[in-house]
Amino acid sequence: MNGRIAIAIALVALAGALVFAARPHDITADERIDQITTELRCPVCQGLSVKDSTSETARQIRDLVAQRVREGRSNAEIQAEFRAAYGDWIFLSPPVASWSGLIWLVPIFALVAGLVLVTGRLRTIDAPRPAEPSATQVAALRERVAREEAAEG
Amino acid sequence: MSAGDLGAAALRAALFLSLWGTGASIYAAWQRDARALASARIAAAIGFGLVVIAALSMMFALATHDFSILYVAENNARETPLFYSVISLWAALEGSILLWTAILAGATAFIAFRGTRAIPRLATTALAVMFAMLTFFLLLITTPAADPFARLALAPENGNGPNALLQNHPLMALHPPLLYLGYVLTSVPFAYAIASLILGEGGDRWLVATRRFALISWALLGVGIVAGAWWSYAVLGWGGYWAWDPVENAAIMPWLTSTAYLHSVMVEEKRSLLRTWNLALVVATFALTILGTFLTRSGVVNSVHSFSLSAIGPLLLGYLVAILVLSVGLLLWRSARLRDAGPIGAPLSREAIFLFQNVLFMAATLTVLLGTLYPLVAEAISGAQLSIGGPYFDRVEIPLALALLFLMGVGPQLPWHGASRATLERQFTAPIVAAAIGAIAALVTGTTALAAVLTYALGAFVIATVVQEFARGVRARRTLHGEDALAAFSNLLRRSGRRYGGYVVHVGIVLVALAIATSQARTVDAEQTLAPGETLAVAGYTVRLDAIRPVSEPQRDSIVADLSVTGNGASDHLRPALVLYPNSAAAIGSPGIGAGLRDDLYTILAAYDQRTFSWATIRMRVIPGVSWLWLGGAVVGIGALIAALPAPRRRAVRMPVAEVAVSAK
Amino acid sequence: MLARVVRIAVVVALLALTVTLALAFRRDPHDIKTGTVLKPAPTFTLQRLDGSGEVSLADLSGKVVVVNFFASWCLPCTQENPALVRVYERYRGSDVVLLGVNLQESRENGLAYVQRMGMGWATLADDDGRVALSYGVFGPPETFFIGPDGVIAGRHIGPIDEATLVTAIETLRARAVR
Repeated sequence: MNGRIAIAIALVALAGALVFAARPHDITADERIDQITTELRCPVCQGLSVKDSTSETARQIRDLVAQRVREGRSNAEIQAEFRAAYGDWIFLSPPVASWSGLIWLVPIFALVAGLVLVTGRLRTIDAPRPAEPSATQVAALRERVAREEAAEG
Repeated sequence: MSAGDLGAAALRAALFLSLWGTGASIYAAWQRDARALASARIAAAIGFGLVVIAALSMMFALATHDFSILYVAENNARETPLFYSVISLWAALEGSILLWTAILAGATAFIAFRGTRAIPRLATTALAVMFAMLTFFLLLITTPAADPFARLALAPENGNGPNALLQNHPLMALHPPLLYLGYVLTSVPFAYAIASLILGEGGDRWLVATRRFALISWALLGVGIVAGAWWSYAVLGWGGYWAWDPVENAAIMPWLTSTAYLHSVMVEEKRSLLRTWNLALVVATFALTILGTFLTRSGVVNSVHSFSLSAIGPLLLGYLVAILVLSVGLLLWRSARLRDAGPIGAPLSREAIFLFQNVLFMAATLTVLLGTLYPLVAEAISGAQLSIGGPYFDRVEIPLALALLFLMGVGPQLPWHGASRATLERQFTAPIVAAAIGAIAALVTGTTALAAVLTYALGAFVIATVVQEFARGVRARRTLHGEDALAAFSNLLRRSGRRYGGYVVHVGIVLVALAIATSQARTVDAEQTLAPGETLAVAGYTVRLDAIRPVSEPQRDSIVADLSVTGNGASDHLRPALVLYPNSAAAIGSPGIGAGLRDDLYTILAAYDQRTFSWATIRMRVIPGVSWLWLGGAVVGIGALIAALPAPRRRAVRMPVAEVAVSAK
Repeated sequence: MLARVVRIAVVVALLALTVTLALAFRRDPHDIKTGTVLKPAPTFTLQRLDGSGEVSLADLSGKVVVVNFFASWCLPCTQENPALVRVYERYRGSDVVLLGVNLQESRENGLAYVQRMGMGWATLADDDGRVALSYGVFGPPETFFIGPDGVIAGRHIGPIDEATLVTAIETLRARAVR
């Protein structure tokens, strides 16, 4: 009973912590700039984001994004401006509503297919109460213990 | 005879021996001929020696700057220091394949002598497979496709020097060899698996024989990947350790399937189930290493590692296709014999957890594979260019990793066949409490991102289960053998190394997960243009630019920024630089890193006044927790070592009948 | 039944993988079709490097405009420069306008480079890089071909040669005549 109370309290505390972490909060301009530049690909680097790159081009893009944020444009508008110039290539994560967005289906499909295959191979058990072991069962148990310990070592 | 001639001749002789060995071992397995096996053994031993001689000859040619050899002219210069000259063996395509071949030849020789003594027919067939693969690689390096000893008609006065990125940091000595060892050693379980399928064996002998190889290759691959992350962090200078670059992806895919394999293999050992699946996993792991090699060297993907385009691309693709056709064909042919007898087990059993874990790993691998290949496909078909990078992979892989962390805590706590409610309560009360404590600890340290809080909670969960297991094991040994706590602990590691070494590995993984979560959630950046004497403040640290000065060395010129960092109890002098090598048009950023247990101070010299050195643009990144990543990698390596070491010989254990009756409940 | 499905799925997947990888050899890194190609050219007004005034793209409507992005720190730019000079001489005074846009350096550096390389055509300064970003420039050297209708007809990434320049220009001039 003590154990169950402990588990209950722990789960409540855990849930509380997670809800606190996931709470929506007002996003600052700097955070918006970070959000946008993390998803933009630096045109002159090997796969780096505009946020991470120290190249001059990346710096100029960051300036442009900062200016657009100050002007009050939305994330979608800023992204559209870059898409018009560079195409979908400039986004490090394919936009969901596009041909390349199909790639988001891959993990979902893999998980679902895998879970279906696996759960098909499982069954439930009913656990009968074990009886006292007989002498032969004990001998067999001893042997098995010795064998398993050898296999594990 | 020069080193180049010696090396080239050695390789060609090795090729001949490898062909001989293939034929001899096939005949030996088929006709059970001992003499043929003996000749195959000799071929393996001498062949290995010859390839090693070839590799040493190349190192010698690099060290002595023999520019009549094309490879040396392209990857070495007179100014290159001796250390980097020697490790330039693996700086570019041809040398890398030579290193790969040397390791493969070594593995072949090992199987020829140790393997065939243990289980003659199976191992001899596996030997034939190894020889066949070795022949392919020797063909690559003795033909114009990738011949490292190709000659130049006119030797230039000075060579190009190694790629600038590859001579900037001593880690280059460690990262490729570790990774290649991991890659190549996956071919041993593969060879045994193929042999088992060819011979139509229904049993698990191939599995037991290659258990240690699989574990060692997994460990080397994992440590090699962490070494690569460290290199990316310390050398590439962008402030991160993993960019989901195609070549990074190529390395992590076989590691993921290999991890899945290490676990589902336990199900087969315990319950003789999942035979076809385990064979498929071994094949997949090996095929992914070849795919990785193909992606890295064929030039079809642009990446930090891109080697130049060469004829090797189609050859590697052909090799990969041949392997897949052979393996899948064999699997389909023999699958009837390998079918499982019945259902696996209950949903809340260790087998089931291992199965779910496998599903998650396969989803993770498939995501990385298709995410890496999708841009290629899209462009080849429609000409449209698109990018799939960090943000996509992070969004998919992080939830999968969190689910895996959870299973990592649950799996070892559940018994085989199924668990009762009493078992569940007994096993999980403490870990759940630990999880809550972990989540609160995260919030207290200021880590408030949801994924990070979850990581802390699940990490605490796993650590609690590991502590529980060790406590139980120590208690059991004290009761059974009367040992004191310390002796019991060390004996657990020595005698049940697989199990408890595995737990140590899990602890290492938790450290890695915490490092990633913390660094991703709480890294702060600041960038400013400073004149000497001015400061920049970020996250409680203050950076002062002391000076900007040029530094000249024989092989490179650098501009160094001298920085003093204070605050939060730290006092460091960091020297980020921009390094210019003569063979490179652009300067390489070299970060100045102040490593610490709590935070890393990562400084970058982004730009500077080229005329009068009157200003410099400094970027300072405070990265908490990243040191735990290297620590975690080391713990994983230690755990794997504990698991791989054989147990010492022991005397029989006597157990009185009454005690057996009690413990059977 | 399930086993049969799994088998077929595996074989199909492997076939797809092989075909994918084989197809991957077809890529041509210079010819990039996405982005601003076949869209109206973004307008701009930029100052000349020598300070003698400004140039507006809108004023050049009806002409064939070749916009070349360059910089002194860009090695392939020096390699392609002779071709640009020859093409400039060839079409001087006609309805073909060559514009150079200098990227990511001070005006003094840009001007010094222009004078050193004998670039006689109008060279402009894109100080904050906005024009380059609006065109979707990856990095110098990059050349854009704008038709008389104001639409970007094509782009070339990397150093360009005389033949490519002339072919593109003549194609656009033929379109203007029609």
